[in-house]
Amino acid sequence: MTRAGAVPDNTAPDNTAPERTGPEHPGPEHPGPEHPGPEHPGPEHRAPANPVKCVVWDIDNTLLTGIYLESGDEPPGADPVLAAVLAELGARGILHALASRNPPEAAAHTARVTGWRFAAAECGWGRKSDALTRIAATLGIAVDALAFVDDDPYERAEVGSALPGVLVLSPEEAAEAPGWPEFSPPVITAEARRRGEMYAERQRRQEAGRSFGGTREEFLASAGTQVTIAAATAADVPRLAELAARTRQFNSAAGRPPAQAGDAAPPGGDMTEDWFGGLLSARDTDVITVRLRDSFGDDGMVGGCVITRDAATWTVPLLMMSCRAMGRGVIDALLAWLTRQAARAGASRLLIPCGRDGRNVPLRLALAAAGFRVPGPPPAAYQRDLGTAPPALPGWVTAPGEPGGGTA
Amino acid sequence: MNPAGAGDRRGPDPDPRTGRPGEAGLASVTDDLRAFLAAVTGRGELRHIPPGTALFGEAVGLDSLTGTLLLREIQRRFGVDVAGEDLNLDSLATLGTLAAFVAQRARPRGSS
Repeated sequence: MTRAGAVPDNTAPDNTAPERTGPEHPGPEHPGPEHPGPEHPGPEHRAPANPVKCVVWDIDNTLLTGIYLESGDEPPGADPVLAAVLAELGARGILHALASRNPPEAAAHTARVTGWRFAAAECGWGRKSDALTRIAATLGIAVDALAFVDDDPYERAEVGSALPGVLVLSPEEAAEAPGWPEFSPPVITAEARRRGEMYAERQRRQEAGRSFGGTREEFLASAGTQVTIAAATAADVPRLAELAARTRQFNSAAGRPPAQAGDAAPPGGDMTEDWFGGLLSARDTDVITVRLRDSFGDDGMVGGCVITRDAATWTVPLLMMSCRAMGRGVIDALLAWLTRQAARAGASRLLIPCGRDGRNVPLRLALAAAGFRVPGPPPAAYQRDLGTAPPALPGWVTAPGEPGGGTA
Repeated sequence: MNPAGAGDRRGPDPDPRTGRPGEAGLASVTDDLRAFLAAVTGRGELRHIPPGTALFGEAVGLDSLTGTLLLREIQRRFGVDVAGEDLNLDSLATLGTLAAFVAQRARPRGSS
């Protein structure tokens, strides 16, 4: 609060000249002649480890062309270059949030002048690294999926030091960000384009949930939750590949040791559109999609799985869900449906190979809650006993092979 | 300035009579877990569940969201990484099994 006025403009190092830091972030005009073209993608040229899912923006002298509290009756307008960056990244499914040493009115003003609906806003006088941590928690994404843009080198240093996984940028660097791989998701689906809106719906849903008196199941039912499980079609393939690339907390193949013998899935990260497309016509293989909607909004396809069947064993080489759908009964419904279908088909075993690390704890919890255990040593495969009574499927789930499925 | 909770960090204090974690430690961990469960699920009645209550399933209904919040809170307050030490998450069977798992591994603060 005091620093903004205390630092004279001409001594702030980054206010004088756009400074490109980090040779690992070449702008689009420096493609590097030694790089092989995209038609020769070696294994090391996969998507970057941390694609940015949300950009957290400072307001004063960053998104606005001045300082909100020092501008009297007429607050400053939007920086036109960065407003265009907001729109370009937003169209790619990247979220935007605000972290500002300002009263909340500054966030409302910024939303108005940039024409952007921010998925989260932290206004206050605490550390910005704490604000980023809260934004990540609110949006249900990992801190290292954030980028942070601020004109103040002190704030950038604070965030960079407290949260080393965050991509920290000056406004000048942010202006170039649309050309960088971290901001260039390989596929952009209808779900991605609506992502900003869906997070706003999520905020309204969470507020309603907090004021709701009953259990979670009662809230899901009262919100008109509808989970639809269905066989995938060719039109679903881009979104399936996008989910496979973007999900981590709920992705049974991510973090798994590559190349297990007899594994139908390629090592994590190679689940391309071609791979999914090929599975659609493969024998004894099902590709399944899961869609979610309720009275607050339509989240589209939020999950899916691949099933390979033989007489005795159903194996699920990939089970995935967007973390946006966490807490809404989706993964539980999918696991219950898989169990019911495998049992009904007469299989004796249902296997879900899944590594176990610190990042997929939510999926491991869902598997444990659904009665899955890992009986043997690594490589880990979760198993469920199919001899017991099948788990119930809530009435708001529509799924193939389920008696009530067609009427929900 | 700081919101509630920041000054409230405490591990399972050693039993004041014996100076080491014991029955009193287990009882206080169990109480803390009941309070966490009530907080993450928003269901105050969970403050009174007996140790034999299953965490997954009808009574408590722990799922991936509430379970993640619970484990995060346990790590913050007791320094125990349940998911890292118990890959199968068998310790989450009941309130009592989880409390025993945490009480055994909790780092008493301010002592070795």
